[in-house]
Amino acid sequence: MERDYLIAGLRVRMDTYGRTAEQAQPYLTDTAETVDVVITSSPETLHAKHPHLSLEDCEYLSTGASFYRQLLQFQGMMLHASAVVMDGYAYLFSAPCGTGKSTHTTMWREAFGYDRVVMLNDDKPALRLENGRWYAYGTPWSGKTAQNTNIRVPLGGICVLTRGQTNEIVPFGGTQAALAILEQTARPAGMECRGWMLELVDSLLSTVPVWKLKCTPTQDAARVSQKAMSDEAKKRFG
Amino acid sequence: MKLKDGFILRTVAGETVVLPAGGVTDFDMMITLNDTGRFLWERLSVGAEETELVSALLAEYDVTEEVAAKSVAAFVARLKELDFLA
Repeated sequence: MERDYLIAGLRVRMDTYGRTAEQAQPYLTDTAETVDVVITSSPETLHAKHPHLSLEDCEYLSTGASFYRQLLQFQGMMLHASAVVMDGYAYLFSAPCGTGKSTHTTMWREAFGYDRVVMLNDDKPALRLENGRWYAYGTPWSGKTAQNTNIRVPLGGICVLTRGQTNEIVPFGGTQAALAILEQTARPAGMECRGWMLELVDSLLSTVPVWKLKCTPTQDAARVSQKAMSDEAKKRFG
Repeated sequence: MKLKDGFILRTVAGETVVLPAGGVTDFDMMITLNDTGRFLWERLSVGAEETELVSALLAEYDVTEEVAAKSVAAFVARLKELDFLA
């Protein structure tokens, strides 16, 4: 059944089922005359390419791809990251699958408390530039764990995570940081989309603190990244 | 000599980057250009012969003809290698 949702500050119309509908439930809103985004999905096409995935999972991936592709039109983008909120700021940990993003944000929750550290989106948070400031949003597309919260939070920092024997965090910038971010976002083809994408990444790098973290899967690692990232967010945004 | 269509050039983090719009090459990549690279790229995107590129470099930068010719040849060779020329 076709329903309207409010996702990342946008009115979204979607006709879906199963897991996608379940995860989107907290985002349901009253039906309006007009919407910003109409989700189209083609789970069968995706299923033909990836037969090991269930049709329901294909629906979930296909609707997510449709949403994040259209998000680019609204000064927004997806980042493949585990995102937590602490003391009013969102902190994103981005890395290829299997590196330990979720482990690291779980360590934040263990170290600083499950009440104080909220999971915003464990897989694909939406980022939006609004009146010169960047915000992170929870969305229904949060990966296997379905861990997401329907809130908007000022973006405090983005961290590119790698595994290491020690815990070390350093500021990250320049085209290497741009490339690391581009590698972890959806890259729909097309001149317009990709032009917007580069402009958004440029804005992100000049507005939001970006970091590179080498870490072990421990609470010590969480303390190291939290200290550096929250100090800088407070310094920069107050 | 002209670049293929479908490249996006933007300034990101203070540097010039080029991204294929998709379908141009069989891979997805980002290229960083220095100032000279951007200067040549912009001329090649509207079409220019190698000799014109050398003249343009000589007019814009304080270099010898030999250096300019070498730079252009290296740049063009790299673009051919990447299959970026139409």
